[in-house]
Amino acid sequence: MSLIFTTMTRIFFILLLVASIFMLFRGHNNPGGGFIGGLFAALAFALLALSDSVDTARRALMVHPITLLGLGLLLALLSGLPGLFSDSSFLRHWWTSIGALHVGTATIFDVGVFLVVIGGVLSLVFRFYQEEPA
Amino acid sequence: MIFAWSILGAMGAAFLAWPLSQVLPRLSGWILSLAPLSIFFLLLGEIGSVSDGAAHVKSFAWVPSLNIELAFRLDGFSLLFALLISGIGTLVTIYAGSYFNGKSTADKGRFLSLILAFMAAMLGTVLSDNLIVMFVFWELTSLISFLLIGFDGEKSEARASALQSLIVTAGGGLVLFAGIVLIGITLDTFSVSEVLERAGELVASQLAGVIAACVIVGAFTKSAQFPFHFWLPNAMAAPTPASAYLHSATMVKLGVFLLARFDQVFATLPGFGETLVVAGSITMLVSGLKAIRAESFKAILAQSTVASLGILVMLIGLDSEVAAVATVGFILAHALYKAALFFCAGTAIHATGEARLANLRGLGRALPFTAIATILASLSMAGLPPFVGFISKEYLFEAQLDSSWAIFPVVVAVIVNAVMVGVAGVVSIRPYYWPTKTPTVVEHGETPGMLVGPMALAGFGILIGLFPAIVAGTVIAPAASALRGEQIEVSFGLWHGLTPMLALSVIVVVIGSVIAIWWEAIHRRLAQYDRFFSLLGDRFYRSAIDSTLALAASSTKLLQNGDQRRYTAVVVLTVTAALAAAFVSMPDFAFLAAEGDIRFAVVAVLALMVLGAIATALVRSLIAGLVASGLVGFGTAVLFMMHGAPDLALTQIAVETLLVVLLTAVLLRLPARRRHSRTGGERNRDAVLALGFALMIFVALASVGVSPIDLRLSEYFANASYVEAYGRNVVNVILVDFRAIDTLGEIAVVAFATVAAWGLLRGPAKLIRTKD
Repeated sequence: MSLIFTTMTRIFFILLLVASIFMLFRGHNNPGGGFIGGLFAALAFALLALSDSVDTARRALMVHPITLLGLGLLLALLSGLPGLFSDSSFLRHWWTSIGALHVGTATIFDVGVFLVVIGGVLSLVFRFYQEEPA
Repeated sequence: MIFAWSILGAMGAAFLAWPLSQVLPRLSGWILSLAPLSIFFLLLGEIGSVSDGAAHVKSFAWVPSLNIELAFRLDGFSLLFALLISGIGTLVTIYAGSYFNGKSTADKGRFLSLILAFMAAMLGTVLSDNLIVMFVFWELTSLISFLLIGFDGEKSEARASALQSLIVTAGGGLVLFAGIVLIGITLDTFSVSEVLERAGELVASQLAGVIAACVIVGAFTKSAQFPFHFWLPNAMAAPTPASAYLHSATMVKLGVFLLARFDQVFATLPGFGETLVVAGSITMLVSGLKAIRAESFKAILAQSTVASLGILVMLIGLDSEVAAVATVGFILAHALYKAALFFCAGTAIHATGEARLANLRGLGRALPFTAIATILASLSMAGLPPFVGFISKEYLFEAQLDSSWAIFPVVVAVIVNAVMVGVAGVVSIRPYYWPTKTPTVVEHGETPGMLVGPMALAGFGILIGLFPAIVAGTVIAPAASALRGEQIEVSFGLWHGLTPMLALSVIVVVIGSVIAIWWEAIHRRLAQYDRFFSLLGDRFYRSAIDSTLALAASSTKLLQNGDQRRYTAVVVLTVTAALAAAFVSMPDFAFLAAEGDIRFAVVAVLALMVLGAIATALVRSLIAGLVASGLVGFGTAVLFMMHGAPDLALTQIAVETLLVVLLTAVLLRLPARRRHSRTGGERNRDAVLALGFALMIFVALASVGVSPIDLRLSEYFANASYVEAYGRNVVNVILVDFRAIDTLGEIAVVAFATVAAWGLLRGPAKLIRTKD
């Protein structure tokens, strides 16, 4: 890979990660959300894998993508339980306000979506890249 | 109402079976038998409460919104079944404990657990008062039967038989389910008690015939009636204790149970009784013939079981009052002697390792008690006095002579009962006492656990025969009354005087003796007609299964041949055809809503996208193609932006970018330029397909704008978004809150599909590595 691409990727990696978190949390009131955020984050790691190596990207991710996938699904599932117990309605979200900011189980659900997208995309991306004939 | 808890008790014992067999492998059968035994005594205590023909119902709420509740009903008839299930269940548990002593503790634990789970399912089926609940237990018995027939899963024959029984019984179960749903639609209830009360209403409804047909198919598949008779003899691949329990004494009688219950409802429906009598008679004749032709010990018994089930189905179809008593009496008598015979057959096969009856010789000395039990049970099966089989056969003939039918069922019954006498003579005398110079080698003798069952059942057979008053008023009368829906007096005595029935019995015994003596000769003679017998077997089932598989194979070859172009072509063609059909069928079809001004910016973006699309199709370099198709994708994002959908635009950009990154990785491994892999003709055909598809999509999209959009939902979400879900981004609020369960389903699908693809991608990678 070219030097320019590799260097630029390092910068983009950080930028994309920051953007993904930003997208995830602004999603409730402005364009964004767990799905787009997840895509951004996956893009960051995919770029890293392409410019450097899959192993670098895996190390940067720290957990296995399939683990992320399962974790996200679990989070989304669990975020529905409080509503099930309080209103006997699964996925009826709880809300509370910290000042002007509304925080609730919907946020946990969105984080779940975020993780599923990252895990899903990256598990396949890493596999694709790794199969390169040596 | 403590009886409803017996199901839970059996279920609990099933969970205990595995660990207990690990800790106390030799005693686990005896200890576990305490569970069914206590259920048996608990149910005995209920006899008083149903003796007057009353029914007790106990219900717990389950799905009230669908009219489904966990309702249980105890009346004379279900009590009879529950007693048989728990009583024989006790003996089977003990027997299986000894039967599996030579095998691994894992096998033993698995088997005992399945047997007890099956018992819970059986109790649930006969005690349910709600048809849906009954159906759940009904299918559960089919599933456990599948697991037990396929218990020796390493044998392909066992797997095939297990699958066959599952397809037939669970398939019939689905038909039954259709009938149940139709009952629910007609009467607006699933309660058995209420259906019985409102029988007239059900028979008068338009759907009565369909419902009756569904119930009959469900019952016939379960009880192995013609033309579904073939699965039961194949089910003998199961370990013998399971055959004794499921495939003779209890599960196969569920169809009879269901028909007897619904006979009360459909008795006045024209054709119902006649169907049962005819089907029962055919089943009796077919299985009677096949019993004489059969080779293995268990197969002969299995065929005679099918014949007995035929007798029961025919009895239910008969319209005389005494038929109810005959049905109940025969259920009891058959369960006692047939389970005993299976136990004895199991002991003989277990001791010698030889399944063919012809090869079992001179076992009387080595297995003396088993031989005695076989004789006693056989005499009951032959219908000789003073056994309970004699009483039930007298009632069978009386029910036939009393009915409105002519001589036809009587002739069939005489023939089949004569075959039973023959079978009884052959299975009791031949393996044990037939004079022989070379007795079959016995590897090990009888054990107490393998004697309790046959001895107890054979003993009961003679005890009830001598003192029929024990069961007449306590079990038979309440059960028969429950079937008739009115109290009836039952004598159930051994001696009825010099009656036509007695004369018929004498004829039966004479013919039967002839069959028993010349068994070998008749058997050999019938063996010449094997082509005819194959017609009576599972040939049609096999050809149905084979042609289904062939159809699947050819359609897979056609549609899923591994060529991506074929897939794309199929999808494109289907969508084009479907859209074309929709347009043609629409009466006043108008498209192209030419409203508003033409905006230059939009036209410019569109022109770029068109250029990109054309370039994609024309360029030879893959990288150039990627860039060109990227023009279309990003152009779409810009269009979204221009029309006030920043969310969509963002997502489109992210997906598009990711696609580029992903494809780059793939393209890096492909040659930069490619030659055409299609011939000119193929390319022209594909071009036509693509243009047709594009045209249809264009027309469809253009016409979407014409019809007015229903904005109610959009307005609701827009208004409620902040008030109820505290978010201003309506799209995201719908995703994570209003429609969160949809999103959950979608991410679950994405997750599972990804894991599957991920696993597939790993396979070849490993192979490559080992090659290196």
